[in-house]
Amino acid sequence: MTARAAPAPLPPATTVGLQGWLRQNLFSSWGSSAVTIVLAVVLSWVVVNLGAWVFVEADWTVIISRVPLYIVGLYPYEGYWRLCICLLLISVLLGMSWRAWPNAARRFAFAFGVIMLFVGVFPHEMAPDHRALLLLNLPFIGLGYVLTPRPAETSPGRFEAMAGSALAPALERVAIFSTPRRMVIAALVALVLTMILILGIAGVPGLDPVNPQDLGGLMINLLLAFFGIVCSLPIGVGLALGRRSNLPILKVACVIFIEVIRGVPLITLLFMSRHILPLTFPEDLNIDRVYLAGITITIFSSAYMAENVRGGMAAVQAGQTEAAQALGLRGWQTTLLITLPQGLRNIIPAIVGQFISLFKDTSLVYFIGMLDLVEMGRVSVQGNQEFIDNGREVYLFIALVFWVFCFSMSFISRRIEGVLGVGRR
Amino acid sequence: MAETNGVQAAVDIPADKAEILARPLEERDDIVVCENVHKWFGDFCAVRDVSMRVKRGEVVVIFGPSGSGKSTFIRMINRLEEHQQGRIVIDGIEMTNDVRNLDAIRREVGMVFQQFNLFPHITVLGNITLAPQRVRHMPRSEAEALAMQLLERVGIPEQAQKYPAELSGGQQQRVAIARALAMQPQIMLFDEPTSALDPEMIKEVLDAMRELAATGMTMLCVTHEMGFAREVADRMAFFDEGALVELGPPDQIFNNPQEDRTKLFLDQIL
Ligand SMILES: Nc1ncnc2c1ncn2[C@@H]1O[C@H](COP(=O)(O)OP(=O)(O)OP(=O)(O)O)[C@@H](O)[C@H]1O
Ligand SMILES: [Mg+2]
Repeated sequence: MTARAAPAPLPPATTVGLQGWLRQNLFSSWGSSAVTIVLAVVLSWVVVNLGAWVFVEADWTVIISRVPLYIVGLYPYEGYWRLCICLLLISVLLGMSWRAWPNAARRFAFAFGVIMLFVGVFPHEMAPDHRALLLLNLPFIGLGYVLTPRPAETSPGRFEAMAGSALAPALERVAIFSTPRRMVIAALVALVLTMILILGIAGVPGLDPVNPQDLGGLMINLLLAFFGIVCSLPIGVGLALGRRSNLPILKVACVIFIEVIRGVPLITLLFMSRHILPLTFPEDLNIDRVYLAGITITIFSSAYMAENVRGGMAAVQAGQTEAAQALGLRGWQTTLLITLPQGLRNIIPAIVGQFISLFKDTSLVYFIGMLDLVEMGRVSVQGNQEFIDNGREVYLFIALVFWVFCFSMSFISRRIEGVLGVGRR
Repeated sequence: MAETNGVQAAVDIPADKAEILARPLEERDDIVVCENVHKWFGDFCAVRDVSMRVKRGEVVVIFGPSGSGKSTFIRMINRLEEHQQGRIVIDGIEMTNDVRNLDAIRREVGMVFQQFNLFPHITVLGNITLAPQRVRHMPRSEAEALAMQLLERVGIPEQAQKYPAELSGGQQQRVAIARALAMQPQIMLFDEPTSALDPEMIKEVLDAMRELAATGMTMLCVTHEMGFAREVADRMAFFDEGALVELGPPDQIFNNPQEDRTKLFLDQIL
């Protein structure tokens, strides 16, 4: 045995602990001390006043009594169970993601479960069957988790190690989503089912069609943003490839499209879609404004997506293309197999960022008469004498809802960035 | 070195290659022919008037100061750079703008880069099987069997399922060699394959290259590993300021350089 080394000297007390932290970060000089004190005074003044208003003066009955309006708009009450089923489908997908990409998706699945739990037990009027369906989300997240095999590169979790040998064969048998292809198919099936459940099918009992104009509230903001991003991804990739192509006509067409769309505010495009696009349709073709808004938002988003994709592909090192060429791959093979996949991987955080800003932008659809979350808020205040003075409560609530969604998404995006940073670049 | 003979005995050389290797260099055919090749970047002449013939199965080491046009020269041999004057013929195929010729030449010539340039988004196995499947239309099972055989040959079959970033530099470069070999090229180009490696990894890559040379592969290697050159090269080419200054067997280059510039450069680096 060798002699034990002398204990390492401790850092001076002024650099550690609460005292050290305060000193280093808030009171490091006269100037910063002054700023700290002024800001502290202002902040506490704001917090005290706002807190007093939030907890004492404000009357939140308008929110509590109108929750369904804010969330789903005028969607018929008889169809609420269908929306609950959609949430269950999302839960299964989240459970699958949790299992397949634990680092990236775990918090997302967890947050979704917590929200569902909260909404399910929140004390306000709700039919018990809806409550039950909402609470079912938790087991459904677990279901998705169990249906997906553990990725080869991760080690078994604590629970799994405990249950271990006894359950392992059973777990393996039920893990049906064992390839990326099966997971993609599951996601697509869930997507189609969701659309069918939300809009209904004529003639199928229980699935009465819903007037698209009755879709509203937070649901329409999320739906428009989600479909906008999902549809604009392939279009954006096409535009980006067109812009990189050697065919002058294709290239010019793509550049013009991208630059024109990016140079016009979304609100203008929405007005054009409502008032000008229909002029170009045959007279008896009556496309609902919900779809017009969806198409417009997709087009809008595609132009930005194209630029993101182009940037992501440009960031792929030249050596990648050279290696592919040296191996004899053709130009298009190099693009599809090497540059594009790496480019898309580079822009995952940018896509999430675009989703966030698109989600916020969808509140503009109220200008063309749709009942999104913001418009529902306005209606619930101005359409009702009883709540005419509760505007502050309503808009604060709406801001909070947007913030919670956007903040959690950017948080998750940063996690994904971290995950992509290791191992696979 | 005795090791060369050991390696030579250990690898099995295809019959056609063995037959060629049995012949002395002078009696083999020229697989690479460059005549008065020039290359400009704008006004700057990066390669000037280079003529060189490489015999089948020959190993040529190219060396010279930084910026002397070594990379540019070997990149012209698989058309990563286009030559602007002169003539390049690879195994009887004239280097022209004709896509068919270009495809044929790229199938003949494999390349290993200083920075490895493995595809980071696919596994080691995927890196090696990609081109055989997409370019040679080899069935997947066959391509994978070939890939495993090549990984075995460069000594890292256990890394097949990993992603490139999970490997050490030396391992990555060996994967890059295997990837190029999977296209079953006649000629291999190496552009400073060990310059980006930590010293302890250089040997494993040089060993793989030695083994390859012993199988009768035609190789053009830009490298400053003079030990490797002395041992493996049939001839060495000294480049300076875009020109091929001296071309001769290692014995001549090291012991009796004909040009002052060669001698000066060797004195600096040895
Ligand atoms: N794409 C390019 N555009 C302009 N100039 C270039 C380009 N590629 C190379 N050059 C120039 O051509 C000359 C030769 O470059 P090359 O890369 O062939 O040198 P090298 O001998 O390989 O040097 P090194 O040992 O540094 O790799 C250099 O002066 C370089 O600056
Ligand atoms: Mg070079």
